[in-house]
Parts: sequence; structure tokens; C-alpha cells
Amino acid sequence: MKNNVIMSNLDKHTQRLLLLFSLFASSVIILIVFFIVTRGMLPFITDNDGLGRVSLFRFLTGTVWLRGATFVSTAYGAGFLVINTLYVVFLSLLISFPISILSALFIAKICPPRIAQMFRMVVEILTAIPSIIFGLVGAGFLLPIIYTLATTLGYRSNAGLGVLGVVIVLALMSIPTLTTISETAIRSVDRSLEEASYALGATRAQTNAKVVLISAKGGIFAATILAVGRALGEATAVSLVAGNAMSGPSFIPFDITATLTSMMLMGLHETSGIDYDIRFSLGIVLLAVIFIVNVTLNFIKKRVGDFGE
Amino acid sequence: MNKRRFKDSTFNVMTFISIISVTFLLGMIFWFVFSQGIGLLNFRLLTSDNQAVNYVGAFSSDNYPEFMDPSLESDVHFIERYGIGIAERRDLAGNTVIEFVYVDPDSPFTDIALLNGGSLSVTSGMTLNRVAFIERPAAQRSQGIMNMVSALSDEGNTIRELSFTRPGGGIRASLVSTLYLIGLTLVIVLPFGIMSGLYFSEFAKNNRLTRITRNFIEMLSGIPSIVFGLIGLSVLIPFTVRTTPATGGNLIAGALTLSAILLPIVIRTTEEGFNNVPRPYREASLALGANRTQTSLFIVIPGALSSILTTTFLAIGRIIGESAALIFVLGTAVRDRVGVFDRSPSLAVHIWALMTREPPNIELASTIAVIILIVVLILNLSIKLLVRLLHRGRY
Repeated sequence: MKNNVIMSNLDKHTQRLLLLFSLFASSVIILIVFFIVTRGMLPFITDNDGLGRVSLFRFLTGTVWLRGATFVSTAYGAGFLVINTLYVVFLSLLISFPISILSALFIAKICPPRIAQMFRMVVEILTAIPSIIFGLVGAGFLLPIIYTLATTLGYRSNAGLGVLGVVIVLALMSIPTLTTISETAIRSVDRSLEEASYALGATRAQTNAKVVLISAKGGIFAATILAVGRALGEATAVSLVAGNAMSGPSFIPFDITATLTSMMLMGLHETSGIDYDIRFSLGIVLLAVIFIVNVTLNFIKKRVGDFGE
Repeated sequence: MNKRRFKDSTFNVMTFISIISVTFLLGMIFWFVFSQGIGLLNFRLLTSDNQAVNYVGAFSSDNYPEFMDPSLESDVHFIERYGIGIAERRDLAGNTVIEFVYVDPDSPFTDIALLNGGSLSVTSGMTLNRVAFIERPAAQRSQGIMNMVSALSDEGNTIRELSFTRPGGGIRASLVSTLYLIGLTLVIVLPFGIMSGLYFSEFAKNNRLTRITRNFIEMLSGIPSIVFGLIGLSVLIPFTVRTTPATGGNLIAGALTLSAILLPIVIRTTEEGFNNVPRPYREASLALGANRTQTSLFIVIPGALSSILTTTFLAIGRIIGESAALIFVLGTAVRDRVGVFDRSPSLAVHIWALMTREPPNIELASTIAVIILIVVLILNLSIKLLVRLLHRGRY
């Protein structure tokens, strides 16, 4: 009997111990946001070693990034970085979305299962390739091509660096994620919906385009949200092809550009002072952009998802 | 009816073109990385230092035997007087150098007295920069190999001073630091992940606290890795400096950063693994009088062992590929002495450092990328194999 009491207490202790672990795991996000925000607020509320405060309004709307210690100024403007980031991610989605969805459809519905297995493997390997390698291929393989293209079209190009390179690299990186998740969504579409469509006289292609894809749109949307979030936060690959523009925004494909993340990597060698702290301010902006885009897309998803289901 | 068929086949062809372009993309990545990188890939690269070291010295003794030509490759010049074979080669940075290809064990080059004390045995792979002779003009590397060969072979020349380089550009340091990172990170993140996964799978009640905890962990996976890097920089480095002998960025801080990144993935996949252990196993254990702690320890965890292993492989893949977070914590300066309390970039960070250099060293970066790709491929195949074993063996 006594033994039983100890044993049942043991369960309680185990549960408490494990709860402690998971509470710690979930508190990591709070710690991260707390530290980023407290550190990133410093340039706006302190004197910055005599340089004066950074104006928050100017920081959020500015179109020129002047490095504080070098230029003895606090005229940091991150507005163009936000616009650049959203612009390149949007363009990259224009490329990756159709390719991924059609590929997913091909794997899930059109090709024979054995070949599907092979293509699935291709996509899986692509998913496993680290982003730095996409950056390496972008910088080593794509930039010379973009440079040639730019000079043939009569544009001035800085070794091919710029918007187009970033867009292509981001698009290539989102394709595997988008394809994998969309394929799962497409495969889980209710078979009876397709059969109903066939019964009404639709062809396979019509069914795939108008029934399967539409029914899977919830999953496809979720995949898109995930891919957009990743693309917004991608740093090293982008920094290798962006060209580190100090002002903007840049819209022309052959112009050099800079995103929030590539700018954060540029201040790498600072260890203290405003150029160090301002990276955390960029971190806040990045988190805010990701959050807002996420909420917006989720809102759209809900509106779109309601219709037709 | 024809128009409709045309539309249909256009649509099908479009899907086909899409998947072909995705396949082409994979092929392009592999083709580029391998074609650029395979040239430098050899064992020496993996074991040699990054920093080049220069030596200046002279022969310790003047007595040495006659040497026989050991029949070397055609581009190697054998110098009979000293028993060495030298050839023109390109080093890892792409410069033309005069490299020792063969050194006879009895050659005077195996016993060099260095100018600053100590002695050195020249081994193949080292390069020869300059040979100064008594009362004769010195032979320089820049004058080409033929000049060097004739100067060395000339019986009238007596060597006064030699200058060598042990070439750098090796990636041993980044390789070792990557291995350290993998070990340290797994030691930190696996217990955490397994404990939390066990909690959610076996002990958590379906209440508000559980839902909030879950959501917070899920949110963590949406944070970009560069932000984790900032946290490593501002929180984890000061923390490790205070608690360990480290003085700056260090591998422990790097491993802690990686652990934070991996935490949500590890928790999710181990929890799934625990959930997949069949219910009757647990019921049988409980019916035999074991409590839930015992059941978890002896039934659930062993039952999910292969999924824990899968998680480990997944985590290793992520650790090897992670660059943005580690750039901040480990810096980009490659050093040859690697310790847990020192900063030293991992392989992925090394690629970034090589590519942001002026001019970028695409060749060496691709070589490192080849290594990463091969490891990632092996890990992926292992996961596939494990999953297959799991489905065949147990259930």
C-alpha cells in the first residue's frame, strides 16, 4: 500500500518536472521578443554617445541609411528596407507560386505513382539544401547571367547584383516548401468531389484545375503563408546577391537593393554603440513585418476559405 | 470539342513543365556546386589549416647521400642533388606556387634548422618560396619553376637560406567546429525536446495552459534565424562569458542559439513519435501495475527510439546548414585553433565568409558546399531508411 503512494506521487513529480521543461521551452519566444525589443528601443530613447536620438518617424519612413558612427548622424531610415523586402518577396512569390502548385498537382494527380515517387524525392532533397547553398549558386551562377542580360538590355549593372537576383534566389528557395505542403493538401482532397466533377462531364484537366485546386486552397494558402514568412526572414542567401544598397527603394530589376535582413548582416563588425543597437531595431521591424504579413494573409485565408467550402 | 482538348493538354503540359523545371533546378544546383568545387576536394583540404605559415631556415648538415630518381609524374622536376621533386601547382587561393611533391627520407630538406630556432622537416604539400645562395643571386618563386630547378641543380650553388610556406586555405577548423556544434547542440536540445515532447504526449491535460504553451512553442518556429543570431549576440554570449572561461563569441553560445532554433522542431517530431506508439502497449504496461512514469520510461521512449533518431538526423542537417544565426555568434574570421570556448565559424558560415570576401572565392566555397550537400544527402537517405525500418519492424 505504501509503495503505491510513493508510486502515485512519482507520477505527480514527473509531471511537474516535464511541465517545467515545456514551460521553459515556451518561454523562449517571450525572452527573445523581450530582449530584441528592449535592446532595439535604445537608439530611440538614449543619447547614442552624443549623436542624439534616432527619430522613430524618420526611422520608419526614411529612404537613406546613413551609418551613425561614420557619418556622425542618426539619420537612419529603414522605410525603404521594408518596401524592398516586401517587394522582392512578392515578386518571388509570383514566380514560385505557379511553378510549385502546378508541380504539386502533377505529382499528386497527373503522373503515375512510381514517377511521382521520384519527383517527390527531388523535391525532398531540394527542401534539405541549406539556404547558404542557394545563395552560393545565386552568386556564382545567376549573377553572371543577370549581368550579361542587363548589359544586353542596356542597363547598368553592378556585377549582376540586385533585385532580380534576390527575387530568383528567394523564389527557388520557396519552391520546395510550397510544393511539399501543397501536394499534401491536394492529395487530401476528398475523392468524391472529383468523382462528382467527372460525373458532370468534366475532363481530368478541368477537374484538377477547378475542383482539386479549389478544394485544396486552404492547405495551399497555409503553405504560402509559411513560404512568405521564411522568405521575409531569409538573410545569408539574400545578402550574397543583394548588393547592399544604402538608399532606395529599388524597383528596377537590375538595381542593387537591400532588405531588412541583408542590412542587419552588414553591421556585422560593430560590437557596441549605435550601429550595434540599430540592428536590434531592424530586428523589431522585421518581426513586426512578419507578424503583420502573417495576420493579413491569415485574414485573407479565412475570407477566401469560407467561400465554397 | 477540339478546343477543349487543346485547353486540357495545355494545362497538363504546363504542370509537366513546372515539375521538369523544379527537377532542372536541383540538377543545376548540384551541377554548379560539383563542377566548381570538386577540383579542390581532397583529403588534404579537410585536414590542413586555414592560415598559411611561413618558415625561413637552412640545412642542418651538409652530409647527404646520392639520390635515385623515384620516377615521378611527368610535370614533376626531380632534383638529384637534394632528393626532392618539385612541381608547379595552384594553391587553394588560386595562386601559382612551387610545391614539394616528393621528399626523399634522407634528403637534407627533412632536417632544416629554422632561423628562429627549432627544426622542420619539409613534407610534400609545402611550397618553396625563395632559395638564397652564397655569393649567387637568389631564386624566387615568381621567376618560375624552370629557374628554380636550374638554380637548385647547379653544382656551383651552395644554399644559404630557404623560405617555405605551409599553405593555408584548409577547412579543418570549420569542420571541427561544425562537429563540436553538432555534439553540443544535440546534448542540449535532445533532452529538452524529449522531455517536452513526453509532457505533451503523455502528461499534458487538454487545458488552456497546454494550448498556450503549445502555441508559444509553435510561434518560435516562425522567428527567422537571424533574430536568433541577435539573441545569441546580446544574451547568450554575455551569459556564456560570465559562466565559462570564454572571453568572446564561443561555440557554446553558438550551440545554445542553435538549440533555441531547433527546439520547436525537435519537440514536434518527438511528440509525434511518442503519439505513434500504439495505445495497447501503454495499457498493457499500466495493467501490469506500472505507473505512468515507468510506462513512459520503459515503453513509450523505447518505442519511439527510431523517431528520436530521425529527429536527431533532421537536427544535424539543420545545424550543418544554419548560417545567419551563427554569423553573429561565431564571427567570420577562420582560426585554426578550435576550442569549445573559442569562436570559430562552422562550414556554412565559412561559405558566407568566402563569398563576402573581395573577390569571392567561389571555388573553395563550392568545395565546402559539396561536403555539406553530401552530408545532407546521406542524412536524408538515412531518415528514409529509418522510416522504412520503422514501418516494417514494429507495427
